[in-house]
Amino acid sequence: MNAIGIQIGWIIFMPILVIIMGLLYLGAARKITARVHNRYGPPIYQNIIDVIKLFSKKRATNHGVMFSLGPIMAFSGLLISLMFIPIGNRALLSFNGDIIVLLYLLVIAPLGMALGVGEGANPMGTIGIARALTLMLGYEVVLIISALSVMLYTGSASFMKIIEAQSGGVGHWFLWPLFLSALAMDMALQGVLGEKPFDQPIAPHEIASGPMVEFGGKYLGLLQLYHAIAIVVETGIMVNLFLGGGTLFWWFVKSFTVFFIALLINAVMPRFRIGQAFKFFWTYPAAISLLGLILVAILK
Amino acid sequence: MSLEKEQKVVELVKASFEDAEAEVQRERRVKVWVKPNRVFPLVAYLKGHGFNHFVAISAVDWIKDGEIELVYHLWSYSEKVHVMIKTRIPRDNGSMPTLKPLFNQAETYERDIHEFFGVYFEGNEKLDREFILEDWDGPPPMRKDFDTRLFSAEFYDQEDLESEALRLKIQPYKGHLRK
Amino acid sequence: MTKEKAPKGIKGWAQGRSLWMLHFCTGCGAIEMPPTMTSRYDMERFGITPMATPRQADLLLITGYLTVKTLKRVVRSYEQMPDPKYVIGFGSCTVNGGMYWDSYNTIKRLDLYIPVDLYIAGCMPRPEAIIDSFTELIKGIKEGRFDGWIRYRENIEFYKRNQAMVMDIRKWSLDTELAERIWNEVQEERKKRFERATVPHVYELAERIPEGLPK
Repeated sequence: MNAIGIQIGWIIFMPILVIIMGLLYLGAARKITARVHNRYGPPIYQNIIDVIKLFSKKRATNHGVMFSLGPIMAFSGLLISLMFIPIGNRALLSFNGDIIVLLYLLVIAPLGMALGVGEGANPMGTIGIARALTLMLGYEVVLIISALSVMLYTGSASFMKIIEAQSGGVGHWFLWPLFLSALAMDMALQGVLGEKPFDQPIAPHEIASGPMVEFGGKYLGLLQLYHAIAIVVETGIMVNLFLGGGTLFWWFVKSFTVFFIALLINAVMPRFRIGQAFKFFWTYPAAISLLGLILVAILK
Repeated sequence: MSLEKEQKVVELVKASFEDAEAEVQRERRVKVWVKPNRVFPLVAYLKGHGFNHFVAISAVDWIKDGEIELVYHLWSYSEKVHVMIKTRIPRDNGSMPTLKPLFNQAETYERDIHEFFGVYFEGNEKLDREFILEDWDGPPPMRKDFDTRLFSAEFYDQEDLESEALRLKIQPYKGHLRK
Repeated sequence: MTKEKAPKGIKGWAQGRSLWMLHFCTGCGAIEMPPTMTSRYDMERFGITPMATPRQADLLLITGYLTVKTLKRVVRSYEQMPDPKYVIGFGSCTVNGGMYWDSYNTIKRLDLYIPVDLYIAGCMPRPEAIIDSFTELIKGIKEGRFDGWIRYRENIEFYKRNQAMVMDIRKWSLDTELAERIWNEVQEERKKRFERATVPHVYELAERIPEGLPK
């Protein structure tokens, strides 16, 4: 009875926690980028203010049913993926193969966005979505090969089993034996997070924030929440596979560290063209991850 | 300071165009006056002699003479000389042959001058299309007899509207004025 | 129906502390924005960030003179912004025409065409003046003093009529029916003005020096 109570409490508490942490991540990102640029920067809770403001907007342009369903679909797709990713060694649904399910669920969000943007009929949004899907084709390969080498190493496709296999301190993390796969996944993560040099789908200076171009008011607020969850989930994959999970506090510390590295790269890099980004993913990270997979297969 | 290369250009023009008046204005500047119908051959001739950068066309409205002066600017990268070919056409119903067959970019400058000075360029197909002024149906605004001050006062002052704005209390926020 | 009011309390606070600015730089004032945005004056510490599209923006900065051609785009962008929205007129050109007081193609008073919440005078205003106006705007929004979009909605006929005097509003308004009606109404007046304004006149040299303020 007590265990079920904790489980229900966790179901309610966890998404709220993830959203607040994600928004604080985004605020910290702006602060850190500002410090790198030698500026003072906004307060760390700035993105929470932004979300309150966006939801208090009086009117928002609507272009049709699909336009409002798109952000909801993206948001709920990510909410479902939260069920499969262990946060602080606690997963709601854990079974053999949940890594694969999670990687599939991550694709729902861009597709939801694509449907919404299609209704908006703005050429900028269409370009942005085309770029997002192209970029996804690039990094998804690297992501899956890296995840595959971890699965091969442990002989399991369950997040909880992989975390268990890494228990026992820093020396047991898969970061060390599977260094090449971890490196490739971190490269791919830069694209997953949409940080520079892989922010072609957003690109405010060329295509006016891409998919978000027609969204305003509460729709944009929903997309901000979606972005907040997405960052936690995406860095969480790296934390669970290579950095050994950890208690709630240490899990978020590790996840923020992964995000922090991406941020530092983001703050000093310009943007690739989409073709260059695609070519990059299918050459160096793909080669490194394949090498990692072969090494695992030989050593195992 | 020697003006040898400039003199050479003047001689080059005079060798083929006897009716043209050419003089050296200063270092790297040569002025040439020709009749309107001789502009096209002269530009073609100079293009064949290394003046391959067509810089711009400009216009001056000489209202008391009843003429519009067109100035064609050419530049030679090898000689480093700027040639200004000046010609005058009547203000009313004046027209010039287009230079598009020689330099494509002339088309744009011709559209510009057509819109702002009302000069017609024969053979320029895009001339009737809107270029810079949108929804403009008045006289060409850069002509000297267009009274821009009067136009501005009539359309943008709108004193009656300002009093109407006062009545409707449509005023920007004034609390920030320093005491 | 109760009269709409500017947001107060936590909504007003959030609204003021997170102003997203439409990056619509019209005149020379645009050059004052980079120092205001970057490390010297850093306006992001107030939560003010440039946004790429009107749908996401709360604040419209008119940085400098507006030709009629630009005014069309500004009106369109302003109407696309979601409420609540604010406008800052930036530089002398938006106040009274500035150095373009006798141009045939430049409007003089911006708040005849769209509601302006704050003016920053100067040619050009320094970044300090811009930061000062931003802090005032943030303070005012928190107290619910700025209500430009409500003024625009309540006096839409007044604004549309003014716009129709200088531009073809039918192509550039979101409410096409209203625009069509007002456009047809002002045609006669427009024609009269046009006839008065296009009388040929050649200035003599002595006449070219303006005496006192322009009429």
